[in-house]
Amino acid sequence: MDSQAPRVTVEGFDGPLDLLLELVEEKKLDILTVRLGDLADEYLARVRAMPSLPADEVSAFLALASRLVLLKARSLLPSLEPLAEEETESEEELRLRLLEYAVVRERAGQLGARLRAGERAFHREGGTIELPPRGGEVDALASAWSRVLALAARQREEDIVAPAERYSVEQRTAEIEALVAAQGQVSFATLLAGAPTVEFAVVTFIALLDLYRRGVIDLSQDELFGDIRITGRELSSAQS
Amino acid sequence: MAEKPVGRSELGRIVGGTPRAIENALAELGASYEGTGLRLQRSGDEWQIVTAIEHAPQVAAYLGADRLRLSAASLETLSVVAYRQPVTRAEVEAIRGVNCDQTIYTLASRRLIEERGRKEAPGRPILYGTTWEFLECFGLQSLDDLPRALSPEGQVLETVGGLPPPPAV
Repeated sequence: MDSQAPRVTVEGFDGPLDLLLELVEEKKLDILTVRLGDLADEYLARVRAMPSLPADEVSAFLALASRLVLLKARSLLPSLEPLAEEETESEEELRLRLLEYAVVRERAGQLGARLRAGERAFHREGGTIELPPRGGEVDALASAWSRVLALAARQREEDIVAPAERYSVEQRTAEIEALVAAQGQVSFATLLAGAPTVEFAVVTFIALLDLYRRGVIDLSQDELFGDIRITGRELSSAQS
Repeated sequence: MAEKPVGRSELGRIVGGTPRAIENALAELGASYEGTGLRLQRSGDEWQIVTAIEHAPQVAAYLGADRLRLSAASLETLSVVAYRQPVTRAEVEAIRGVNCDQTIYTLASRRLIEERGRKEAPGRPILYGTTWEFLECFGLQSLDDLPRALSPEGQVLETVGGLPPPPAV
């Protein structure tokens, strides 16, 4: 029988009813007819043999033990101990509980067998499917794609144009030299007039440093972060 | 395709039709799944499409799902909840004859049972019932598929009920 398959619990038994049912089944007795009091001695022996249990569990085992002992005593001394009405129901009530527990254990065994067989279902995971909003045009995707293509084409043109806008330090040096020769003095701000790119500003600055190094120009600045005056060296030396 | 079970009233709201018509259509749908890899799973008034238990090994392998393991004590508590739901912890304990705090906690944390409101009784104890996951894990298309106790005693008990009847007032 499946429900009698070895069950592993810390204390060996899942509770007093489990132990009692175990005894009934071991002796191949019928729950409906067994005199439960007859099982009192064996039940007590089993409880005594158990390893130490938490107090509340022990009390549950002992409560059932006392009922069994009472049933046994009553059956041994039927004449001496007239039964009160509620006590006559005691054995039947216990029998009912035991019956019910037997059913529970059998069902638990069946459920466990299903679990072990791995016969289970699965549902779809992962959220509801997001549908696109309704009312979209059929060729919306095509027009979107053509916009992407247009964008890519423009990007490519810019990529091609960009290298043409490179500046060379030599060219810029020559320009500045000519400017200084013509005007005698220019300001750095004038050289960067308009909206110069970073590259243009860098090239201009390097050109200035180069001119200064070659002694073509003099540089002066009145205050921190102020404008830089650029003067031709021949001119300044002629002035001084 | 929903990832959660869909209620019958919601189905009615979407597709139109009387609850009766919806019920018939669902029964038809369920029947049409026979022999396929899908099943229609029902819990109360809610429905969901799930995989057939015959293909559990393959689906489990695909999902990398671990097999659920439960102790004998947890299985007993679960079976009491499944067959007697909605049921309170005290009622489970009365039947099993042991404290069930831990097993109920374990089962709830594994989403096999869930709270189903409170009983109108002193202390308003929590009522427990089984979940969708329970049906799935045990491959049951509905609670009607719960294995029946085979013993004649079981059938007797089915009607008698294990708990003492409430005192007549």
